[in-house]
Amino acid sequence: MMTFDLTLTGSDLLLVLPEIFLTLWLCTVLSVDFSMRKVEHETLAYLSIGGLLATVFILIWFDQAGIIGSLFKNMYVVDHLSIFFKILILLATAMVIFISIDYVKGFRFFKGEYYFMVMMSGLGMMFMASANDLISVFVTLEFSTFGFYVLVAYLRDDIRSSEAGLKFFILGVFAAGLLAYGISLVYGETGTLIFSQMAGNPGSYGLAIGFLLIFAALGFKIGAVPFHSWIPDTYQGAPTPVTAFLSIAPKAAAIAILIRMFYVGLASFKPMWVLLFVCASIISMTYGNVVAIAQKNIKRLLAYSGIAQIGTIMVGLAAGTKQGSDAILFYLLTYLFANIGAFAVVIAVNNFINSDEIEDYNGLNRRSPFLAAAMFLFLLSLAGVPPLAGFIGKLYLFVAAIEEELYTLLIVGLINIVISMYYYLIVVKKMYINEPVDSTPVTVSLPIKTVVYVCVAGTLLLGIYPKAFIDWAVSATLMFSKIAPPATAAHSSLLGG
Amino acid sequence: MIPLEAYVAVSAILFMTGLVGVLVRRNFIVVLMCVEIMLNAANINLVAFSHYLESMAGQMAALFNIAIAAGEAAIGLAIIIVVFRGKIATNVDEINILKW
Repeated sequence: MMTFDLTLTGSDLLLVLPEIFLTLWLCTVLSVDFSMRKVEHETLAYLSIGGLLATVFILIWFDQAGIIGSLFKNMYVVDHLSIFFKILILLATAMVIFISIDYVKGFRFFKGEYYFMVMMSGLGMMFMASANDLISVFVTLEFSTFGFYVLVAYLRDDIRSSEAGLKFFILGVFAAGLLAYGISLVYGETGTLIFSQMAGNPGSYGLAIGFLLIFAALGFKIGAVPFHSWIPDTYQGAPTPVTAFLSIAPKAAAIAILIRMFYVGLASFKPMWVLLFVCASIISMTYGNVVAIAQKNIKRLLAYSGIAQIGTIMVGLAAGTKQGSDAILFYLLTYLFANIGAFAVVIAVNNFINSDEIEDYNGLNRRSPFLAAAMFLFLLSLAGVPPLAGFIGKLYLFVAAIEEELYTLLIVGLINIVISMYYYLIVVKKMYINEPVDSTPVTVSLPIKTVVYVCVAGTLLLGIYPKAFIDWAVSATLMFSKIAPPATAAHSSLLGG
Repeated sequence: MIPLEAYVAVSAILFMTGLVGVLVRRNFIVVLMCVEIMLNAANINLVAFSHYLESMAGQMAALFNIAIAAGEAAIGLAIIIVVFRGKIATNVDEINILKW
């Protein structure tokens, strides 16, 4: 006899309080937009940011008070890991709305709906961070991606934006097809969709194919090679604030799912997925960095650099230990500030000279010393230069790899830091040494200036005083201290040295 | 009684049809149809496994799949219309302003 029942109690509703609050808030923003015509879109933007920050405070309260648990029969889990990712995603969403304010002025229609769509995608990614079974993974992943399909194609009059949207859509739904079929195979082999109940399964070809399909679908979301082909075109064609959003938030949410799926559901097959992540990491880092050298457009350069950064983040997944997951969480924080900051500078320059070509950054130091200095700092942090945040993040990831004796990965990673330094410094050279063609000073609006200052402060703070943030990352992944087994001698000798 | 293998075989054939279609066909509408075939292959699998495993989770997943496939079609057709208005093209090859 097959039965299925779901119960929902008051304490369950408390666990989804942040999501319920944000849902109501974004409905309010939409209602204000269509019912009060006189309200300026700036007001809507600040209203949205207020809601997002209030949600962050609710989550901080959850984290401090230890309000954790699972609901809907373990399909949806609220724990310290998910709270960490939710705060990260909400901060990214709030900063993206800040840097959008000037950009949205150029839209002819649908200014208010833009903020609604951004918050809707953010909400979808909050759910992704809590997904604890394959149905919730599929539904939440599509929820957030639907918002992005619309956002990427938002500039209706710009054929490049529509084209980017179409390419993103085709590859996105293709990935969704792979994900759905992978889920069906895993369900058939294990008889369950919940990660924690899959642990201890003997394993079979069907299970392996199913998980490879799911890995491919999540690889599309994080933009790991060989599933990266949509990234450069989508990044170039999409409205720049949406590119900034795409470059961090969906990646972080998909990483949360990957950590949960591989650490909890597949702990017993660790040697196999370690090999998978070692290969994916090496290919992504090398491909992203080498192709980035040839780029002439700053958004494409940051796209390829993002592919390489995902390769670096996968070093932590390749380590497959608690320390690896701590390092990933800390690295995502450093990446959030450096990357959103770099995109904020790109938007500030684009608003003024209406170009994303790296040639047009010639002599930026003369035109705006503030923007040039900020960009210099963000690029150095992305490359991993001490004493900035990126250095501590990379160090932490590579130490986790050394503990697992993944020396090949370590050497490739170090070579890649040198390659990445080359193309980041080309941009720096253009900004500081080359002569500007037009030396009118670049003016920066207040919202973008605020975000740049916040990102500079974050990059410096995480680099100089990382302890508080590392402690936060360590406490967020406490649940993995028992689950991930120590490396066996067999697989160390297979992969090491 | 139809054996489980029969259902899995049908769904595998459907999935491969969809996969090859996405990779080979150049028309957006056909590509979208092929993706729908892939999703429905997953649905057949889920329902068949659900029956043989006597667990309801698979049928529930299939229902969610159907709802999401409908959303995908709506957004996809909207984007195709936007592209079609800007430039008369419904083929993958004709969309080439950005470097592919």
